[in-house]
Amino acid sequence: MVGVSEVLNTVQMGLAYMVIALPLTLSYRVTQVINFVHIIFITLGAYTVALLGLIGLTNVWIALGIAFLLGGALAVLDNVAVFEPLWRRGSDVLIIMVASLGLWIFYKYLIYAVLDKLFIILRTNTLSVLVRTEGFPSVTLGAVTIDGYLIDTVVTSVVVTLALYLILMKTRIGKAIRAIADNQTLAEISGIPRGRVLNFMWFLAGGTAAVGGVLWALFQTTVTPEIGDQIILQVFSIAVIGGLYSLTKTALGAFIVSGTENIVIAVLHDTFGLPLSFRPFLVFSVLLIVILVWPPLGAGGGLPYRFRIRPRARR
Amino acid sequence: MEFLINFIISWLPIFAIYGILSISLNLEIGYTGMANFGKVAFYAIGAYLSAALTMSVMLSLVGKSVPLYSIEAVQALSTPGTGAIYTHPAAYVGLFVLSLVLAFIVAGVVGYFITYPTLRVGPAFLGITVLAFGEMFRVFMRNYEPLGSTKGLFGLNNPFIWIGNPQLSQGLFALVSLALLLAIYIYAERFVNSPLGRTLRAIKDDEVAALCLGKHVPRVKATVFFIASGMAGVAGVLWTFYQGSVQPDTFVPILTFYVWAMVILGGMGNNLGALLGAAVFTLVDRVLTFAAGMMGPSLIIPPNYLRWMIVGIVIVLVLLFRPEGIRPAKPIKTPAWEAVKEVSEGG
Repeated sequence: MVGVSEVLNTVQMGLAYMVIALPLTLSYRVTQVINFVHIIFITLGAYTVALLGLIGLTNVWIALGIAFLLGGALAVLDNVAVFEPLWRRGSDVLIIMVASLGLWIFYKYLIYAVLDKLFIILRTNTLSVLVRTEGFPSVTLGAVTIDGYLIDTVVTSVVVTLALYLILMKTRIGKAIRAIADNQTLAEISGIPRGRVLNFMWFLAGGTAAVGGVLWALFQTTVTPEIGDQIILQVFSIAVIGGLYSLTKTALGAFIVSGTENIVIAVLHDTFGLPLSFRPFLVFSVLLIVILVWPPLGAGGGLPYRFRIRPRARR
Repeated sequence: MEFLINFIISWLPIFAIYGILSISLNLEIGYTGMANFGKVAFYAIGAYLSAALTMSVMLSLVGKSVPLYSIEAVQALSTPGTGAIYTHPAAYVGLFVLSLVLAFIVAGVVGYFITYPTLRVGPAFLGITVLAFGEMFRVFMRNYEPLGSTKGLFGLNNPFIWIGNPQLSQGLFALVSLALLLAIYIYAERFVNSPLGRTLRAIKDDEVAALCLGKHVPRVKATVFFIASGMAGVAGVLWTFYQGSVQPDTFVPILTFYVWAMVILGGMGNNLGALLGAAVFTLVDRVLTFAAGMMGPSLIIPPNYLRWMIVGIVIVLVLLFRPEGIRPAKPIKTPAWEAVKEVSEGG
């Protein structure tokens, strides 16, 4: 039966997915690089809230703030140390993408190694942590109890999305980011300091993704080092639905995927007896359908592949 | 000496497996410019196919009808001396060979069909779609009861285990896998130096130009994907028989990037480089495992994490400081080029 809990799960999951996927699309639009370190931002955010809970700091807003700063700092570090030097040498976007893969693997196992040490220091299992944090209290409306975490998620995601919108659309630096996304060379000729603007963009993207990681931890309630890796399939499907281009369609994609994972599977399970283990198949078929129906770039549109724009002007 | 021999026969199959994987990845990324982030999917298909096929046929040979993942199946298959893999050697070796062939075909066909929707949408999308496909396959296998869900399938062993002498049977398996690697290497060398191979380089350098010259780019790419995925399937079969079991969590996405690190370190766009990268990484891995055994828990970073951290940092550092790898790509060999060289040198 599709009940209230499925709908509530869809909402909470969808909002978390949205906050995770929006910065991926944003950074792809601006730099044409699919950044695999994104997965680390999620893990980082999730562990921020989990470890703060372990040491007794159980305020979700503080955790969100720290996660934002950590994620942003990590993203800027990557950009300064790896992406920017590669770009300056005129490397292909594919090469930069592979470098981000390398960083992903390195960070992931660095996190494992650090947690392993913390395991000994804190004398608790850090490789699987139950999230303990406090935001809004739970609300009971008649027969339906709305979890406090869900309210936190709604508030955070609305604030984050609104802030992203305002920064991108209403501020000077947002305008500069959009200019670089549209035409890098032209933006630089117009006197936009590319390096600084990109650093800001990465800070924003990394921070937002880490905030998404906190929200994802609130949904999962148990945090492991694999928490980011577990949603690769979903996050990339969402990004493809947005065509890695349109932010609004990315947001829509988040709800399509979370609806598929909660409501569609429940309906199929009830009517056809489809085992719940077929969930990844459904997400993958959403991905394939989107690519098949809107071939060039997913639902976000774009140019047909024969006329694809060269990734960017080389120096 | 004894130790060295044991080391080599335990290392050679691993080297062969990763050598095959890195040659196949190199065909895709080094020669054609297709970023495949889901190599592990085809590797897993080969591994699961061979395990399921061999186990079910062997079980029906001894007249047992038990689920593949059950403890009875493991006992019926691999009890030393009386298990099916000891009593039916010919069938066992035959199934090994059959698995190799079938895995090539099945993994290749799956790869071919995956490319249909994705090749038209640019390299980044191909990469993440195949990555998503691999994750889907793994998560599905984790939940698929008939093939053992999270525990996987057990009960197989080296295809020459019935010989009795463990060193001899392992050595034979090492030789067989090395021979397969050599065959695939020679095939890949001939393939990339053929007219089709030159088309691949043209596609990598400039896809639009290749299209304008009348090359059917999507079809050529799909062909390469078929061949490379088939090779990954063959590597998967070798893994099943080397390990004696398959578990879904062997086939995590990181494994693909392990192979990527090999190709990048060795140098994209040349097969010998891919082999070199595979040799370096598998040797380092073996030595790390060995060192960890000696040093025990005194090691600051557990070896399993250290190994992957090295993989990640090598990818980044090589791309930053020596993007062409250990062995830079060379121009293709054709009779015309050789004639030109002869004229220019002979003066």
